[in-house]
Amino acid sequence: MTAEPVRLRQPEALEIARELMGKLARDITISDWHLVIEVRPDDLPEAALRLRDDERLSCKYLSCIIGVDYVDWMEALYLLRSMDHSVPIRLRVRLDREKPEVPSVTYIWSGANWHEREAYDFFGIRFLGHPDLRRILTREDYDTHPMKKDAWPHRVRRTEWRWENIEKPKRLPGETDRRDRS
Amino acid sequence: MSTTEELMGPGRPELHLEEMVLNMGPQHPSTHGVLRLVLHLDGELVISVEPVLGYLHRGFEKLAESRTYLQYMAMISRLDYLSGFFMEWSYVRSVEALMGVRAPKRAEYIRVIIGELNRIISHHVAIGDFMLNLGAVTPFFWVFRDREDVYDLLEMVTGQRMMYNYMRVGGVRWDLPDEFEAGCRKFITEFPARIDEYEQLITDNEIFLSRTLGMGIIKPKEALDYGISGPNARAAGIDWDLRREVGYSVYPEFDFDVPLGEHGDCFDRYKCRIEEMRQSVRIIEQALDSICDGPVNLKLPPMIRPPAGDVYRAVETPRGEFGVYIVSNGGLRPWRLKLRDPTFSAISMIPKLTAGNKIADLVAIAGSLDLLMGGVDR
Repeated sequence: MTAEPVRLRQPEALEIARELMGKLARDITISDWHLVIEVRPDDLPEAALRLRDDERLSCKYLSCIIGVDYVDWMEALYLLRSMDHSVPIRLRVRLDREKPEVPSVTYIWSGANWHEREAYDFFGIRFLGHPDLRRILTREDYDTHPMKKDAWPHRVRRTEWRWENIEKPKRLPGETDRRDRS
Repeated sequence: MSTTEELMGPGRPELHLEEMVLNMGPQHPSTHGVLRLVLHLDGELVISVEPVLGYLHRGFEKLAESRTYLQYMAMISRLDYLSGFFMEWSYVRSVEALMGVRAPKRAEYIRVIIGELNRIISHHVAIGDFMLNLGAVTPFFWVFRDREDVYDLLEMVTGQRMMYNYMRVGGVRWDLPDEFEAGCRKFITEFPARIDEYEQLITDNEIFLSRTLGMGIIKPKEALDYGISGPNARAAGIDWDLRREVGYSVYPEFDFDVPLGEHGDCFDRYKCRIEEMRQSVRIIEQALDSICDGPVNLKLPPMIRPPAGDVYRAVETPRGEFGVYIVSNGGLRPWRLKLRDPTFSAISMIPKLTAGNKIADLVAIAGSLDLLMGGVDR
């Protein structure tokens, strides 16, 4: 059995993270009950290894990898958690939108494999050193990365889909339209 | 009688021994939906497995960006159709955190009661389907008989049997009907005896034991490495339950145990689910006793406009940690919405768990992980 869980409070976790990261982190803050650590793409594997192997933070569990397209830049967000200390951590990497590249962390957490494939599939983020970087949810010959904000320039104009503009189905005699009553 | 040498000697057809590639799925009864497994086989022996996803991809994350926060409520319970209530719960927790509001206390109790009922019927399917994978048909009908009782209760409250759309940001849609409490109490008094029935039927069954004991072992370290959560991780001995660790909603008020396994094999995963159903009954009982009167939702405008920011909130679903990450830019629609599904991580472990086993054991392992493709493919 594991020992009694040690609950770190956030200020303590913040101090530990500052000490652990040193110059690796561009910024460490607390936001939304998470410890948010921002690192440069090149420093990501080193920062991830330190967070995983440190005994106090011990982020052995990678919850997921989130890609976000902010139009001006792109972001990869790693949600980490320790099963002993209950301090959720977000590792934030800001990427160049024209050439989104970040080193893979598959060798640090095996579960990262599919999450990285998903982020590649949706956002086109290239994870360097990934063993098998293919699309995972969309079809293999899809020509775009659908979650990018400019992926679908041909958006359906919603005004065309108003009830008044749609041809109404023919009604049987005696049947009333639910919408006419109201 | 001819000897083997004569039968297989010169002049007879040659025996071809080669690796065979077999597609299991996407339409296969034991893959729980539309999961496709590309198997490389040496006879009955599985050399390697490659899961192929995406047959149920509906673009949930992209669609969220063109819908208002309230419109998306109707979609989110379709995501994981066996435990739709938890999807709604996770989503409203995120939006409530974004807006900085809290649901009234009575609404939180209602969420806990309905959520635990939903956990029970989800575990019903997990156990029933698992047994069906192993070739036992009877348990499947037994659990579906008992699911009907819960469905009646949920229909009484929400008006729907599966896709509830019952939660709202800042509470729930409407209050519990008057008949609910009596019906729910009747169910939770009868249900523990039903769980004993399942156990009599399944747990001591020799065939079941020989198929599951020591099969598909997940070690605690591997479970963390692959991001496994929920009953699958707890069967491996990882003492982690968001209901207790994070203590969201009114869960800290209730007294319940987190069942743990020791070995992390298929049997432990089954046993954890059975025990969790008992704990759910305990939680519902306490919630019914301590539920307070009051309003069930906040008066919020229909067009919610949360301030800019990002939040991640997770709940403990029957399959593990389900979380919703929302980035808001202060508009009517989310800028980015990410759904973190526990089964996605569980499926990524199948190649490691099944390599070197027989095909029949692959079916047992996949069944014990309680896979559901609705959440995986999104």
